[in-house]
Amino acid sequence: MNEIDRRTFLKNSASAAGVLFLTPYFGGSMLSSSESIQIGYFEREFGIDDKMCQMLLEKALSKGGDFADVYFEHSLENWLVLEDGKVSRSYGNVLLGVGIRTVKGDQIGYGFTQELTKESMLSAASTAASLVNESARPVGKSFNSIELKNYYPFDPSMIEIPLQSKLPLVKAINDKCFALSNLIVKVNAGFHDSTKRILIVTSEGVKAEDILPRNYLYASTVGEKDGRTEQSWYNFGGRRDFSYYTDELATKLSEEVVGRTEKLFEAIQPPAGEMPVVLGPGVTGILLHEAIGHGMEADFNRKKISTYSNMIGKKVAEHFITIIDDGTNPHQMGSINVDDEGVPGQKTLLVENGILTSYMHDKISAKYYGVEPTGNGRRQNFEHYPQPRMRNTYMLGGNEISEDVIKAAKNGIYIEDVSNGEVKIGEGDFAFYVSQGRMIEDGKLTAPIKDVNIMGNGPKMLENIIMVANDLQIYEGGAGSCGKWGQSVPVSFGLPTCLVKSMTVGGTQQKGGVS
Amino acid sequence: MNQEMYDLCKWAIDTALKNGATDCRARMSRRRFVNIRYRDHKPEVVKEATTRGLNLNIYINGKFSSQNTPDLRQTALESFIKKAVENTHFIEDDPYRSLPDPKYYEGRVEMDLQLSDPRHGNLTAEQRHNVAKTIEQVSLEKAGDKVIWVEAGMNDSEWEEVILASNGFKGANKTTDHWAGASVTIADEGDRKPMGYFWAGARTFEDMPSLKSIGEQAALRTLDLLGGKKIKTESLPIVIENRVVGNVLWGFLSGLYGNNIQQKRSFLADKKGKIVASKLFTIKDDPFIKKGFGSRLYDGDGFPAKKRTIVSEGKIEEFLIDWYYSRKLDCEPTTGGTSNLIIPPGDKSVDMLMKDLNRGILIKEFIGGNSNSATGDFSVGIIGKLFENGIPVQSVAEMNIADNHLNFWNKLSAIGNDPWKYGSWLTPSLVFDDILVSGI
Repeated sequence: MNEIDRRTFLKNSASAAGVLFLTPYFGGSMLSSSESIQIGYFEREFGIDDKMCQMLLEKALSKGGDFADVYFEHSLENWLVLEDGKVSRSYGNVLLGVGIRTVKGDQIGYGFTQELTKESMLSAASTAASLVNESARPVGKSFNSIELKNYYPFDPSMIEIPLQSKLPLVKAINDKCFALSNLIVKVNAGFHDSTKRILIVTSEGVKAEDILPRNYLYASTVGEKDGRTEQSWYNFGGRRDFSYYTDELATKLSEEVVGRTEKLFEAIQPPAGEMPVVLGPGVTGILLHEAIGHGMEADFNRKKISTYSNMIGKKVAEHFITIIDDGTNPHQMGSINVDDEGVPGQKTLLVENGILTSYMHDKISAKYYGVEPTGNGRRQNFEHYPQPRMRNTYMLGGNEISEDVIKAAKNGIYIEDVSNGEVKIGEGDFAFYVSQGRMIEDGKLTAPIKDVNIMGNGPKMLENIIMVANDLQIYEGGAGSCGKWGQSVPVSFGLPTCLVKSMTVGGTQQKGGVS
Repeated sequence: MNQEMYDLCKWAIDTALKNGATDCRARMSRRRFVNIRYRDHKPEVVKEATTRGLNLNIYINGKFSSQNTPDLRQTALESFIKKAVENTHFIEDDPYRSLPDPKYYEGRVEMDLQLSDPRHGNLTAEQRHNVAKTIEQVSLEKAGDKVIWVEAGMNDSEWEEVILASNGFKGANKTTDHWAGASVTIADEGDRKPMGYFWAGARTFEDMPSLKSIGEQAALRTLDLLGGKKIKTESLPIVIENRVVGNVLWGFLSGLYGNNIQQKRSFLADKKGKIVASKLFTIKDDPFIKKGFGSRLYDGDGFPAKKRTIVSEGKIEEFLIDWYYSRKLDCEPTTGGTSNLIIPPGDKSVDMLMKDLNRGILIKEFIGGNSNSATGDFSVGIIGKLFENGIPVQSVAEMNIADNHLNFWNKLSAIGNDPWKYGSWLTPSLVFDDILVSGI
């Protein structure tokens, strides 16, 4: 049994299941215009009209409950893979179904089906309804489609790209990587793209439709030098269309991944123990997401298991720190026009000038706290019910310049990239694997470091951020996903350069020695 | 074999071949599951559904694609398969890609592994609710007045698959599993709220451990986390508890896989037949354990399952090489994945091992971290107990161990008598000497 009481973050596409290069097989054009994409797709393709939704919601509330919702999904995923110089395999995956939820207080009844037949859907609604045993709650006769802003506009003709057009892009990575360095002995590359259509209808009369693209181009290289082997991985992507994936981007990706591999041959393991840590800008925002952000998700606070459960309105960081969770950043992976409960995408101020101002809410927690939902109710797919989840989480830049932040650390480590983070919500303890970084010696960046863990406590780390530079960067990858209670959702994050007074570094040598 | 599933696979293969595929493998699966969660003496989540899907591997000579769909309506499927074959034509030719040579399908042992509980369908909602309610109550009582939150639950499922390949492979499997457990959160010093958990399972409902023992374990393991803090960085012997040995072992195993070896990402690529670890380190794979969570009659390629010794007294005996990478590496295939992985147990309990060591750290959980398959370097956070005079005296957290697998497994000095029962890796607790544990 997997551990279920932790959240993990895997910044790695290579292990992802999933797939498909297929254009739709159900006839008609998938995308004709951005208007027609968003409205009426499920009615056109599968006959899901308001009357059917009303029938399902009535069944879901036939034994009582506070509210119910239906969530239809149709997703196509494609994955092209290059190995040993050839784009020699492709994978495809189709998701189609509806999830039906009945909510009573903080209790959830949930059923889903892959068959969009009346009989199967009513059966799923009956499963959801089995949670309670009271008198039926009536459902309104009409549903209002909500107006949504579009945070990931795309050219419809640039989403469903034929396989033969993607193939040269992936293949180019191979040639570019080998041309960049004679240390490179293996190149893997790939392109993943998915298109997710959703329809949400609630017993409160809300109706929302959206289409969410997600795609990324990735590369990994293996290098050999003097009998040593090193490997690196990198990607670019987001909620974009194919026009983003230019030859220039392929070059940038190749340079990034080859440069990272070459640098590892010079890398050492830092000494073990407590020391100042400087978090470089951008991808290190994973630490903010994992070590701090999860503790601000409202379900953990409603259940009193987060260290932040009694901290609203209290100081949690220095006055120059402001943290935001944002569903509105253009084309970022965590951006959502609407959340999976029908609440429009929005920006939520979590920490303002060091004071905890809000949790991230779904409808259940918002009702519990007597506040408006913040648009954080998200789910992996129709097989899961929504829960409070982050979107794009970042810290605003401060007033310092990055060189001064590094200088102030004096002796410690500088972290450029991390992966495989994990946090224990109740304790706030976390661990992250540093895949790229440098030693800081006498206030200057020196030898590269690698393959070392950093340990800490999220709330303590936030309190211990003593300098913030003015160089906020948001991670521009498309492959990251966040796991919580068995569900994975795409997210992004960002950070300016920050100095953390002290963290534990898990090296192989005690302080005073460097291996 | 489920005739309906067989017929669908057969039809899908015929359709793919009719549309231009030169070979095809079809796998249909179906899963029925129920999840129940209890908190505050009432159901928090009730979830139930049936899923099904068809996976098709399409070959056009050396061109290959793999496609999944849940939509099994014949008209939709026909269109899906046609389009899938059409698109496979655009993939580049790979001379190593094919279905396995049928001679490797031969020799399958036919036996009843007892993986399916025939009474699973009789399990009632009342029984499931009772499991969750009972475990919640036991955990609440055992954890006492420090409890903030207990979530108890039961998950059970029935799963079935049929696999057919155009070159003659046929396989079918049906399993059930039943899991129950709880997560417990308690109040600690300051704002710390440690959360522990315990889940246990079995193929049949009647083989599940007692609900009382599950609830108690969840509470006791959480109480064990009280007062966790980091201590001074020092070299100490460590005991890795049975249920978390896999968190370190997988990093070693990653070096044995054919894809990592062929792609030059394996620190063990040149170590076959060589001693790389302590004489105490032996890894076996046994697919024939009755009711085992990893038991099977065929592997992912359709090769007959067999017992294997992967590492023997520190010496690497076998790599894990599937059909595709065996062709790339120009060697005989073994298997692409393990079944029930076994480290043969020793004869001492964890208490006895700690007594023998006198002072060290008992690792009960790992947190974060990673292992580099190319270099063998790993680094991982630890949570556990400092023991002195063989007795746990202090909970530790925010600490870390780091090493290289080629060094680390040579430090294996003793093995416990307690193989983990609730998973496909039957690992006992392991003792390692002289490990640098990073803290303050």
